[in-house]
Amino acid sequence: MKSRITSIVMVLLAVFVTIGGTTSCKSKKQLAKEAAEAEYKSKVEQAVQDLNAILNDETQWSLEEKEARVKTIKDWNLQNAEVDDLLIQAEKKLARERAQKEEEERRAAAERENAKTMDVMLNDSFNGIIRAGSISQANRTINETLGLFESPNVPVLIIISQSQGVNDYDRPTTIENYLNYLKDQKKLTEKINNIKYNSNGKINELELIKK
Amino acid sequence: MKKIIATLIIALCVAGTAMAQDELSFERKQAIDSLALEKVRDLSKYVKIVGSKDTPFSEANRVIDRAEELFMSDAEIGVSSVNSNKITYYRVRKYFEHLMRLNYDRVEIEWYNIEYVSDLQRQPDGTYVGVITIFQTFRGYDKEGNLVYKDTTKKDITVYVRRKETQIGGRTIGFWDVLLGDMRVKETTDR
Repeated sequence: MKSRITSIVMVLLAVFVTIGGTTSCKSKKQLAKEAAEAEYKSKVEQAVQDLNAILNDETQWSLEEKEARVKTIKDWNLQNAEVDDLLIQAEKKLARERAQKEEEERRAAAERENAKTMDVMLNDSFNGIIRAGSISQANRTINETLGLFESPNVPVLIIISQSQGVNDYDRPTTIENYLNYLKDQKKLTEKINNIKYNSNGKINELELIKK
Repeated sequence: MKKIIATLIIALCVAGTAMAQDELSFERKQAIDSLALEKVRDLSKYVKIVGSKDTPFSEANRVIDRAEELFMSDAEIGVSSVNSNKITYYRVRKYFEHLMRLNYDRVEIEWYNIEYVSDLQRQPDGTYVGVITIFQTFRGYDKEGNLVYKDTTKKDITVYVRRKETQIGGRTIGFWDVLLGDMRVKETTDR
């Protein structure tokens, strides 16, 4: 009788342990599932928020930072229709921005190169004028140089001093008068500081600075 | 009472700022000193070009225009001779036209010892005024190449430098406008 009771108790214990264990296991899975769902929901919300911010230009991120963010969201592989749609739009937008940025960089590089070339050309012309062996030779160089400018009246600004953020200029002159000044004085005491161009690539403002 | 003190403090601050704006830094003052001296050196070149018998008439006239722009509108230039005590003052254009027509076959004009005798000083109206002295040697030759006249003249040129502004390319440019005043003969010798 005693051993029977013991057997029954053992069986009951085994049943309790089994049932209890199963219940506990189910609860952990449920928690993990809920956590995963919450994480997914949070990621979707974050992705929608970030992608909308990128699409509506409501972020201070650089293009590179925006591209990195889109890549991260894409890597999450959220398989959410709204996120997928926003991702397509954002990728197209960033591709346009990337193309525009590269075009701007190309243009800036071309302008820098052009300015460098122009700088050299102008310096050569200025030196040609001051070293001309005759008035007619100097006049020929002046006429050739004027061809680089929008008109003979293009302003020439000469910085005489730069102090505490203030530029002090000499009385502004015109390119025609400046080139004739070089011819008369036979000295070049300025160097090129800045060149501005019109849409036809002709110089429409020249800024020089005393050496 | 508090209002009076506050008003006084504000007035002092405003006056202080105005004075600070009036005071040019050493570098900026040096830049305008050099600019004024350079204008006088430029003038010396113009005198030489116009005086030269090799300069074509059209070039000389263009240079006279440039030279005239260096001066104040009513400025006069003194002309002297070792043969007379008389000093004649001409308006700038008249002076250069006179120089262009001098009755020599060849003329040599040199300016040297160009320097300040009185530094640029700020006037109450904001204009900086100074005096620059120059020495000029003049030599006139006849067609045989003989030196027929020579003198050395010391001249004082009053220089006015004013801060001005102009609009260029849609922005305001502050510049120093250097203008030369009368050029007075101080001394003429036959050396």
